[in-house]
Amino acid sequence: MNYDFETLMDEAYDLPDGLAKLEVLEAAARYADAEGDIEQGFEARKEIVHTAIFHGYPLKALIAFSWQLGQYDRNPEQFGSFDLMWSYKWIVGQVAHFPEIPLHKIEELVDDLGKRYKEHGYNERTYFYYRFRVAMDLGKMAEAQTYLELFQKAERDYMSDCDACEQNQIVQFYSQLGEHEKALEAAQPILSGAMSCAEVPHITLSYLLLPMLELQSEQDARKTHNRGYRLIKGKRDFIETVGRHMSFLARTDVKKGIELFEHHLAMTLDHEDPFHKLVFHLYSAQLLQKLAANGSKYRPRLPMSFLVSNEEMSLAHLADHFAQLALSAAQQYDTRNGNSYYMEWAEEALRA
Amino acid sequence: MSEQQEYRFQVNLSGMINILSNHLYSSPKVFLRELLQNATDAITARSSVDPSYKGKVSVEIAGSGEQVTMTVEDTGIGLTEEDIHQFLAMIGHSSKVGKDFLATETSFIGRFGIGLLSCFMVSDEIVVLTQSAKGGPSMEWRGKPDGTYTIRKLDTQLAIGTKVYLRCKADCADYFEPAAVEELLFYYGALLPYPVTLVAGGQQKTINATQPVWFAEPELARGKRREVLDFGTRLLAEPFEDFIPLRTANGRTGGIAYILPHSVNLNTRRSHKVYLKQMLVSDKAENILPEWAFFVKCLIWTDELQPTASREHFYEDDRLQSVRDELGEAIRDELVRIGNHEPERLQRIISLHALPMKALAAEDAAFLNTIYKWLSFESTYGEQTLGELIDEKKKIYYTATVDEYRQITHVAAAQSLLVLNGGYIYNHQLLEGIAYMNPELELERLMPEDVSLSFTDLTMEEKNDHYDAIRLADITLQRFRCQIQLKRFKPAELPALYTLSKESSALRSLEKAKESSTDLLASVLGNLGGSFGESAYSTLYFNLDNPLIDRLFSSGSKDMLPAAVEMLYTNALMMGHYPLSRQELAVLNQGIVRFIDWGLSANAGNGGASK
Repeated sequence: MNYDFETLMDEAYDLPDGLAKLEVLEAAARYADAEGDIEQGFEARKEIVHTAIFHGYPLKALIAFSWQLGQYDRNPEQFGSFDLMWSYKWIVGQVAHFPEIPLHKIEELVDDLGKRYKEHGYNERTYFYYRFRVAMDLGKMAEAQTYLELFQKAERDYMSDCDACEQNQIVQFYSQLGEHEKALEAAQPILSGAMSCAEVPHITLSYLLLPMLELQSEQDARKTHNRGYRLIKGKRDFIETVGRHMSFLARTDVKKGIELFEHHLAMTLDHEDPFHKLVFHLYSAQLLQKLAANGSKYRPRLPMSFLVSNEEMSLAHLADHFAQLALSAAQQYDTRNGNSYYMEWAEEALRA
Repeated sequence: MSEQQEYRFQVNLSGMINILSNHLYSSPKVFLRELLQNATDAITARSSVDPSYKGKVSVEIAGSGEQVTMTVEDTGIGLTEEDIHQFLAMIGHSSKVGKDFLATETSFIGRFGIGLLSCFMVSDEIVVLTQSAKGGPSMEWRGKPDGTYTIRKLDTQLAIGTKVYLRCKADCADYFEPAAVEELLFYYGALLPYPVTLVAGGQQKTINATQPVWFAEPELARGKRREVLDFGTRLLAEPFEDFIPLRTANGRTGGIAYILPHSVNLNTRRSHKVYLKQMLVSDKAENILPEWAFFVKCLIWTDELQPTASREHFYEDDRLQSVRDELGEAIRDELVRIGNHEPERLQRIISLHALPMKALAAEDAAFLNTIYKWLSFESTYGEQTLGELIDEKKKIYYTATVDEYRQITHVAAAQSLLVLNGGYIYNHQLLEGIAYMNPELELERLMPEDVSLSFTDLTMEEKNDHYDAIRLADITLQRFRCQIQLKRFKPAELPALYTLSKESSALRSLEKAKESSTDLLASVLGNLGGSFGESAYSTLYFNLDNPLIDRLFSSGSKDMLPAAVEMLYTNALMMGHYPLSRQELAVLNQGIVRFIDWGLSANAGNGGASK
């Protein structure tokens, strides 16, 4: 079957977002490269970045974006810059999730984003906002606080994330700090539906489960769990969020928690975001520990590719397996970040 | 004549009408929908105070040409003077006013004021005569598109109900054509639970004489196949051959999902017809079914969802979400049922709508297990359904990508392996799911390197003989992260087979991006590339059964071997549609020049004479 570039792109446009679409887009990019057609290569990669970043393939997104930015710098007049600059945010929001990327390069990338935004006439809000997000990713909460205040003082412009996304990050910030009251307060416009977008309240609700459990009632938290889980069930983009729901269920409904674990484990196996995997692994371990401690003899349903590489399958063994995965990832982050944020967080979760 | 007072609208009415006709409503013909809706509201309201009351609506067209008028009369609750001020004069005002009035749940579909204004799209004057069931005098309301309206009390007492007169506007005669009006009334009101009659040219006709019972109770539809299909064909204008009854658990939403008689594109916008309280509110509702259900077109009734202002969508709220999930489940369950009881029927559906079926199966393991035997795949045994392939009683292998399939199909066929192309949309995911749920099927992912398992190893003696050549070839391709293997395999015409794992494929695109990126991102990619291990090596198998390879690896070709290996390597890449890196391109260019040179020298060695 011989496909040319246009046919491949048409086929891709007709597909729903996901792995199948990405593979067709990658074939289109390869085709364009083999033909030496840079404009077509650029077009295909723009779609790759867009599809990959929201479906659990951040590495594919990063690779495609890197190619694009290089081509753009060589011939800035040849390409529109707005989409490219917009994609840059997604990339920068992602880089800290790869522990192989050293700290100084992450800093340089955020600065490069800031510099380019300035050159394109955008104000500092988005730059500060990504400083805030990256600091949070790096476990530098004091620094994050500083940038939180800075970005809120700057004006919104065309490069700003939508208000729901920004608000969601603020909720995450307080939830991660353990400031549950502030998290719930910040979440009000999202809970009321006044602010929403493609990922909000999907993500936000998972950060409110423990605050609600602590400050309101189990019933409220359970309602929020049902509402939130329905939005994210079976979606690769929300594996981390599924993990957070599992943590809530480890406290309230282990049986349902195991359902979530079984339903999503296969998706984590080839997930490209190590941080999403860390969260999912950590809370899987937490759940499995709980189940094992109850003396259960349940045998979770596990995907084929997982069974091949793991032989001993008792609950305790599985719990240990995921705990080790989580801890070694946490350690990698801490080593890179130069602090002990993720180990402390992971160890605490495993003690809970 | 009683006193007459003049009031003004608060907005520029002609501007408002322009907004309505150009932005809110898709076509002027919706004025009939709006009038039917107002009538429905009025009848509903009157039945709620008087359960024994039976409503009716009659539409009359009189005159011809430019002089034609239309009267829409209902026997509903009617309006008092106060009602008129409230509903007809204040746009954006409904019987229950909340902050976002369109989102608040009201028991009346219509928002009388806005609905009536839509009539200005086809008429320059609207006259409403009304008598409220609550008593009081009969009233007349007269509105003009310049924004003025008058109200007066009538001296005579009318029967309870409301009568709306429209006078045809220039260029709008089409909307007053009796045949067109009849079709529109059926279109909007076919399911209304009270008679809708049309009087025109001295004839009277009931539009909705037959009420399909199976529509309200979709479970009955299975027994009335022909009737259900004909009804759908009339209302949805497609020649349907199959359908699925729908109903949610709470019984507040239901209908019929007609299966489209032709294949459709995955991203086609689906528009379903939705009846709210038996009145058509939308023929373009897109968000009422799950995305994967684009192979059906539905007639749906509901009394629990809120349409948006344009009536062409429903508000995305939790209730819509759960209705959508339930309708999706109803479709799925019926397909499973068909699969169990009428397999040929399911096969027909799947062959028409393979893609959406695959999309659904990819999300839903139980559904996948019901339908997998009818899914068809490209394989080394031709294009066949999985059921047929299973009947071959061979071990079934599948590849994860089209590229993998292309790499090995030639070789696999020669070894008579049964390999499926898992690369097309969803195939890989589905095959993995099937393998997982049905271990007895012997369905296994074939890695490109696995094909080599059936290759014949060299004998110890051959290995010895070719030891130096193999080593030299291996060293030559080291810098491309490619290792070489010398084997014997079918078909003999094939000199070399290049295999690339997913990891090495990812590494190739990473290296490619690194070549053209900014310094900063290139070094970031360098950090990430470091984590690819041994698995990222590709392998080039040379076939000793191939005469050319045999000659190449035999002694005496040592000078030429590295260049030949490089050429075969770049050739394999190009055959596999892999873009070459700069380094590979350079090697290819040098190679071509060198072989031309060697060719010329060889000729010169023959005495320089050309043949």
